[in-house]
Amino acid sequence: MKVLPPTMRENKRYLAFELIAENMIGISRDDLIREIFSASGSLLGDLGSSECNIWLFAFDDNKGVISCERNHVSQTRAVMATITHVKGKRVLLHVLGVSGTVRGATKSI
Amino acid sequence: MVNPSFYDLHVYSVPEGKNTIEEMASFSLRLGISGIAITNPSQSCQPERAQVFDDFEVFSGVEIRVDNPSRLHGMVGKYRKKTDVIVIRGGTENINRAAVENSNVDILSGFGSMKDNGLNHILARSASDNDVAIAFDLGEVVSQRGGRRVRTLSNFRKDLALVRKYDVPFILTSNAGSCYDLRAPRELIALAGLFGMTKEEAISGLSSTPECIISRNRPSKSYVFEGVEIVDSTDVFSDKGDEK
Repeated sequence: MKVLPPTMRENKRYLAFELIAENMIGISRDDLIREIFSASGSLLGDLGSSECNIWLFAFDDNKGVISCERNHVSQTRAVMATITHVKGKRVLLHVLGVSGTVRGATKSI
Repeated sequence: MVNPSFYDLHVYSVPEGKNTIEEMASFSLRLGISGIAITNPSQSCQPERAQVFDDFEVFSGVEIRVDNPSRLHGMVGKYRKKTDVIVIRGGTENINRAAVENSNVDILSGFGSMKDNGLNHILARSASDNDVAIAFDLGEVVSQRGGRRVRTLSNFRKDLALVRKYDVPFILTSNAGSCYDLRAPRELIALAGLFGMTKEEAISGLSSTPECIISRNRPSKSYVFEGVEIVDSTDVFSDKGDEK
């Protein structure tokens, strides 16, 4: 497969976040993904979500990185702020840092 | 640029909310908030004392929920000396009206939508004249889904237009009932961006307007009453021609 030339690649931002959950319970990656997509579908709709291109890049031990389109960081933050429950448990997503590279974002964790 | 300090002047603690003041304070500090005001409703408990932790401040506040304007003025008078922040839970036309016309009121919250007696141009002008801040309750945007959220956002959009036109002071708040309802300042800015608020406006609603409210209610020792202040005699002579 040919690699896409750099100028044609989409520009991303990576948001490092911590998830603070009730009773410090661990949250599984799949549950969080489901919740993120449900929140973005509800807040931004199908059209907005497609522009925003939110993706849970990595998630482990209640810390993770979400990637999104470069010009939609603020909307992504808003989506993350509207997440209140995962599997019936109260959670809070707190963005720790935003960067253009994964490594830059993980530095803030 | 110096990093501004962010404040959330409308949160609840036990018994109205789920968490104690200490839990709320440590959570807020973790999220990068510099101070919160505990505004439990007046009928449920006495206002909490103001406290200062290491680099975090808890302000004393009260939320007044009444359905009669004359009682509102009485309650405001009663709590003015005791608390830093007085929040009025509005909703009906006469309460909203009474709140924005009383300059001892700091914040009007939950004033409803424009269709049912919410903020309009008359209230907005009054609020601006009397320096009553209106609260954009972003907790509603977070907790609601579907049609109700659509309505909340479109109401906020209209309110923002009035706020801009009449230069009304405003604050952003999470109106948190538990520590998981709190939101970090940048998240609140992003949520406010959903209804068209610029970043600069949002920062002023989280930082300078709350600071103004607090400093107004914690007057310095030289303060006598509205408009009268004891100034150092040397200052008077050095500020020649300055009417203020």
